[in-house]
Amino acid sequence: MKKLSVLLLVVLLLSACSVGNSGANKEFPTKNLELIAPASPGGGWDLTARSMQKAMRDNDLVDKNINVVNKPGGGGETGWKYLKSKDSHHLAINSSLVLTNELLGQSDLSYEDFTPIATLATEWQALAVPVDSEYESATELMEQLESDPKSVKIGVGPGLGNDDHLSIVQAAGEYGVDPAQLNFLVYEGGGDVVTALLGGHVDAVTTSLSEVKDQHLAGKLKILAVSSEERLEDLDEVPTWKEEGVDMVFPHWRGIMGPPDMTEEEIAYWDEKIKEMVKTEDWQKLVKNNNWEDFYKDSEESKKFMKEQHELYEKLVNDSGLVK
Amino acid sequence: MDINSFINGFMTSLEPINIMWVIIGGILGTVVGMLPGLGPATAVAVLIPVTFGMEPVSAIILMAAIYYGAMYGGSRSSILLNTPGDGSAIAATFDGYPMARKGQAGQALAISAVASFIGGIMAVIGFIFLAMPLADFALKFGPAEYFLLMLLTLSAIVSLSLGRMVKGFIAMLLGLLLSTVGIDTQTGVYRFTMGVPHLSDGIDFLIVIIGVYAIGEVLYNFLTIDHEKKEKKEVGKIWFTKEQWKRSKWPILRSGPLGFIIGVLPGAGGSIASMISYSTEKQISKKPEEFGEGAVEGLAAPESANNAASVGAMIPLLTMGIPGSGTTAVMLGALIMLGLRPGPLLFENQPEIAWTLINSMFLGNIALVIVNILLVGLLIKILDTPAKVLYPIIVLLAFIGTYTLSYNVIDFFLLLIFGVFGLFMKVFDFPIAPLVLALIVGADMEQNFRKALLSSNGSLDIFVSTPVSIGLVILTLISLFYPLVIKAFKKKKSNNLDQSSTP
Repeated sequence: MKKLSVLLLVVLLLSACSVGNSGANKEFPTKNLELIAPASPGGGWDLTARSMQKAMRDNDLVDKNINVVNKPGGGGETGWKYLKSKDSHHLAINSSLVLTNELLGQSDLSYEDFTPIATLATEWQALAVPVDSEYESATELMEQLESDPKSVKIGVGPGLGNDDHLSIVQAAGEYGVDPAQLNFLVYEGGGDVVTALLGGHVDAVTTSLSEVKDQHLAGKLKILAVSSEERLEDLDEVPTWKEEGVDMVFPHWRGIMGPPDMTEEEIAYWDEKIKEMVKTEDWQKLVKNNNWEDFYKDSEESKKFMKEQHELYEKLVNDSGLVK
Repeated sequence: MDINSFINGFMTSLEPINIMWVIIGGILGTVVGMLPGLGPATAVAVLIPVTFGMEPVSAIILMAAIYYGAMYGGSRSSILLNTPGDGSAIAATFDGYPMARKGQAGQALAISAVASFIGGIMAVIGFIFLAMPLADFALKFGPAEYFLLMLLTLSAIVSLSLGRMVKGFIAMLLGLLLSTVGIDTQTGVYRFTMGVPHLSDGIDFLIVIIGVYAIGEVLYNFLTIDHEKKEKKEVGKIWFTKEQWKRSKWPILRSGPLGFIIGVLPGAGGSIASMISYSTEKQISKKPEEFGEGAVEGLAAPESANNAASVGAMIPLLTMGIPGSGTTAVMLGALIMLGLRPGPLLFENQPEIAWTLINSMFLGNIALVIVNILLVGLLIKILDTPAKVLYPIIVLLAFIGTYTLSYNVIDFFLLLIFGVFGLFMKVFDFPIAPLVLALIVGADMEQNFRKALLSSNGSLDIFVSTPVSIGLVILTLISLFYPLVIKAFKKKKSNNLDQSSTP
């Protein structure tokens, strides 16, 4: 009995200590940090997390150890659920799926369940056609869709409701074509979409620019429009959607978020570290290698950005006819 | 072919550091291939942080070596324990395990290593001369052709299930049923996920393989563990006989090119290549009844095919930047991080990298056949290991392998469910391969069928609209009706005999 009460006392003391620690937030972080990649090793989210880890570690940005944890499944759902149950030492990579999963009715998690920390980088979406296609410009393709929305087979991947699909939904909507009428073939991923286009099994694709850029430069296919604000440096012959009369800038962004209820000090800590991280040479090199573009927004801007994006995606998902 | 780049690449691949990476990768691949559930994709993914500091060319050499090394290793556990390490090693269980039961484990291991080697080398030579035309050929494969290729693969079930056809088809249907679990890509609808987000990605066929084969085998042996005879098992010689070589020679030489071409098609890969090569050999064999009972050519052919397929899978990766398999997808991600972008510009801008890789595959296959033959003597000792030691180890490996698939404990429940399922299949003498095969190709087959119909506005003509698709339809029909043809043929033959014997 005596032993037991001693043990109880020790446990109480220990827990008191740890409560004291987490109260004094100046000390944050108090333990190892964890970056959650809600995907398998080797995928885009995993590589983003690992590059952050490398950039932070090699430049001594954080005093504590920083680890990457893979929690794949359900288009990010598994990893983000895991994040929700953790404390501020854990962050997870995100993308627009954190919005669309809920909008499509596939998840109960809302973006508002999490604390936005930063928006990191973006890719642009490209509309591409075979090299011998009858469509010389995005406008011509849109005209065809206007006269018969079903007449063009459009390849997207890896699923309806993601950025490949919604970017053309938005473009069509802006042009005045009912996106719900479009004829989509859904492929497993960006690579399969490109193969299908090269083989002439679809008439057009929308996908991340990096998937088709080299093919375009090699003359194997034609990019008709990119979703960026201005023409891109190494693709200056390709017009933007805006130039083609479609008022749209569509970033395919990646960001990072924390669990709910983070304190201001904790947010400030991450803001400072990530702001430094995106400036490092390691990170810049990675952004370049991946054909991404710098899209850094701090926690405050990201919060606002997420809200805007949520409104946009809500409209796009409704327009797409995926949710009735 | 660009001779200068070829020679430059050859010299680079001979640099000691690169030879070292080839050997390390090959051995690592052999080991992960051997262990149930740990496959090349996992091994490459785990090594990504290691490759961060490496030269891109060394990284690609290392990762490719792991990939084809796993093809060598995969059949080891198929032969010795009847538990394939990966989808592409399933076909090695059909005759490899019966050979081991007959006391020819050593011969089986040796011939499969040599078959892998020949298949691999044939594919590397094919790569050098045919990479570009084959990449163009692969593009001709649209949804209709993919659907037909997978149908042809499934038709192999007919020849796998001879004698127990109904059971084989029941197993296949169960596999197809399981393959519908998860999010439906064409519509985004969730099917049979029962509110478990983890199931939205479908049931990983590797869990089913580990479950029905490894766990199922352990449970099955558990039933008989105490009655086991104490006699020492015969493991046989560690080299194959002249007679065995004579029987395997042509199947190996036929399966290499076949596997290579199937490997080039994005999304097909080693499982399909080895299965089609097995059923082809069985169909054209003069002694089809020996297949499944330990026919040496039934082991050699798929082994040649799957290794050739792993080399072929590098073609779409290098020439188009398109990953054709899980492993090459992981490789692509890692290479992009290193600033190397495989694709149509690679052979123009950095040809030496491509040629270094190709040459390293020559060296790698030579190193691997030596390593794997040296390992034969060691590996057959596994058969002497007491069951009470061996089976707990297999179970442990099965759980580790399962966990590495998605780092989620829900998979353990699936593993156990499929383990018990596998036990029942064995007890009631259901063939297991049709179940797993149907699960592997089922989801893709369905999606491609629907994509084909979407693009033809519902007309079935699309399945006979190109020479490739017509060819595939004919092959499938032959494969489906071959048991009937054989029967008719035999009847005729015996009739002839009857007639000739009657005066």
